[in-house]
Amino acid sequence: MDDSNKKNTGVSRRAFIGSSVAAGAASLLTQVPGASANPDTKADGRRPVSKPPSDEKMAREVGDARPSEITEIVSRAASDLMVQVLRNLEIEYVALNPGSSFEGLQESLINFGDPPNRMPEIVSAMHEGSAVDMAHGYARAEGKPMVALIQGTVGLQNASLPIYQAFHGHAPMIVLVGNDEENFLKVHTGEDIAGLVRPYTKWDAQPESLEETLAALVEAYRQAMTPPCAPVLVVLNSDIQKQSYEGVDLPTYKAPVVTGVGEPDANEIAKALLAAVSPRISVGRLRSPAGIEQAVRLAELVGASVKTMATYMPMSFPQRHPLVGPGADKSYDYHLGLEQAGAHLAIHGPHLRDMTGRDPAGIGFGWKEDPNLKRRVKPEKILRYDAEASLPVIIAAVEANLTEEVRKQIRDRTRSIEKANKVERFAATKKTVEKKRAGWNGSPVSLARIYAELWPLIKDLDWCLASPSNFSGRHHVGLWDHDRPHSYLGVYPAAGVGYCLGASVGAALAAKSRDRIVINIQGDGDFNYLPGAVWTAAHHELPILTIMHNNRAWHMEYMYLQYMAGVRGRGTDRAHIGTTFRDPYINYAKLADGYGMKSEGPISDPNLLVAALTRGIESVKSGEPYLIDVLTQPR
Amino acid sequence: MKIIVFWLVSGLAAVMAVSASAQTPAGANAVRGEKLYYAHGCYTCHGYNGIGKHNIANNASPLLADEAAFLIYLRARGDLNPLLPTQRMPHFPEESLSDNAARDILAHIRTFRDQPPPVSESPALNAILEGAALAVDSGN
Repeated sequence: MDDSNKKNTGVSRRAFIGSSVAAGAASLLTQVPGASANPDTKADGRRPVSKPPSDEKMAREVGDARPSEITEIVSRAASDLMVQVLRNLEIEYVALNPGSSFEGLQESLINFGDPPNRMPEIVSAMHEGSAVDMAHGYARAEGKPMVALIQGTVGLQNASLPIYQAFHGHAPMIVLVGNDEENFLKVHTGEDIAGLVRPYTKWDAQPESLEETLAALVEAYRQAMTPPCAPVLVVLNSDIQKQSYEGVDLPTYKAPVVTGVGEPDANEIAKALLAAVSPRISVGRLRSPAGIEQAVRLAELVGASVKTMATYMPMSFPQRHPLVGPGADKSYDYHLGLEQAGAHLAIHGPHLRDMTGRDPAGIGFGWKEDPNLKRRVKPEKILRYDAEASLPVIIAAVEANLTEEVRKQIRDRTRSIEKANKVERFAATKKTVEKKRAGWNGSPVSLARIYAELWPLIKDLDWCLASPSNFSGRHHVGLWDHDRPHSYLGVYPAAGVGYCLGASVGAALAAKSRDRIVINIQGDGDFNYLPGAVWTAAHHELPILTIMHNNRAWHMEYMYLQYMAGVRGRGTDRAHIGTTFRDPYINYAKLADGYGMKSEGPISDPNLLVAALTRGIESVKSGEPYLIDVLTQPR
Repeated sequence: MKIIVFWLVSGLAAVMAVSASAQTPAGANAVRGEKLYYAHGCYTCHGYNGIGKHNIANNASPLLADEAAFLIYLRARGDLNPLLPTQRMPHFPEESLSDNAARDILAHIRTFRDQPPPVSESPALNAILEGAALAVDSGN
């Protein structure tokens, strides 16, 4: 290892991050040539002139393992600086499926730094879609980006749906796409590769020098983290990765300035909360754990009852906080929504849907209705500001307006809210467990029983349910306590099936260094899109327990087809064609075993379930992922 | 209109079921019915054992108490197609499911018995309930 490389960067991680903190609220004015937040502003004159590949290059691509010809010895690889920038940004992982358009960067990732291949560490993905799904799951768990490194046009098209899904999920991530303009197969290159996914990325850049590339990486991070958070993309020129550098300064990261409500609005909100007899706060998805702490602080300060979305999405208010529940007085004379509707006022950050100019082809991808605003009670007023950024200002305004008399009222109200919520919680839980008993001893195994039997095994651990639960009954809602920012990562943002396994692996990447385990209750239909992520979990020894929800069907489609056949009066006895996995059945335990993951099953006897789950949890706690194939009831 | 028709049909079947007893229909075969229940995908909503999105174990529905009510329910839905509300049980006109086949399915459905343990005898459910109770007791 050439230590001079490290020294020559001239910027330590601590100094780098420190400079961003010192920058405080200063806005970043970094100009990134080739950057495109809007295709209309894209700089012209950067169209590469592609040459046809030589016979030698063609031979290499069809299987000849000879490396490409190197005519220059590079002692200071430019791609080392790219790695240093990622390291300074505290990017933990780069998920990739290898490609020759980024071999310069990959070589730096595995060999540059001390230790190499740490911060960021390479995660081997079997498919570009898996790599992006991993970044998506990681982002939902941690609220910050990791990198998906993609090979040219072919890799990016594989990654397309997962990027689309992450965009709808407001997931911050950095997609890096290698582009070997001069020396590679033409079909893998593009003059404007980012255009393939531009309508569903927030920002992209195609830098043409090392300095531009480093600046683009920093700006990409800032764009991804600036609400509305979303995937961003940088095209990495292969030749720039391989060149030598001399006297290049690393760009400074400046944190985004996120706008919250101003003092006049904050004062109005504070006074309304303090004047209310029964204040209520509804909390949707905030951006970070720090935001959740602020929301808890505000609720406790004003003694409000709270409605949480923690059983629907990450980064919401702890479900079992004593203030969560309907409270004692349901009149709610002032109801504030934080990234969520409130009857009187909602503070709701900007939505990607409102962005314009990145869909020049006019494809017009449909947006799901925003669940945060789809409520029976529409707010009287919506303030289009980021709720998390608004909280410190509101809290300050509340503290400034608190009197001793009001404090006493709040203390009394808090006691009554907590008492009422405890009674409510017990009644709701009693009702829930009674309901979940149905089919308890049935075979195949009831999904409610899987969720219920899991709880005693994980309740004292830091756990994360990474799999969307809408196809498996959502039984965790009333049975588990969702008290952490990452307790439940939510549903498929764009209903794009195939996401669950990769996203769970991404969540497990986040969990690995945080003494956390990931639970993945995995639909079989979803699993079969990109099953190679099982190997990734095994290879990287990720703490993930996968329980196959093996109902042997794309079950929703099966039911829809039944209905269609029924409506036409032609019977439902052929609706399994094209919707089920029969003849032969799939054995997921064997499949996992083949990928190198410990596994067992299929289990159809519910009495064998607890022992299997216990073995699985113990394995995951010891650092070995585990898969249990369970033959389940359909839903 | 659709809702009214649906409830008329359901109500008719319910009235007919009141005086009926839950017995295996004469000539029906529960073993054949099990295969038909699976082949026609009844399990997709009702589970393999009658517990699912819509529970029918333990003769939970009055529509299951009498063969005639069951057939009227199936046929009325089919005959009134497409007036009935969407996203409900598929329609089964006689062309797609014969009376005999329907009787066999009913016989199989009547074998469903769901006898889950009380919460107190399920360690998992009991632990969940105790957790909620503990929060009440301890002030957490």
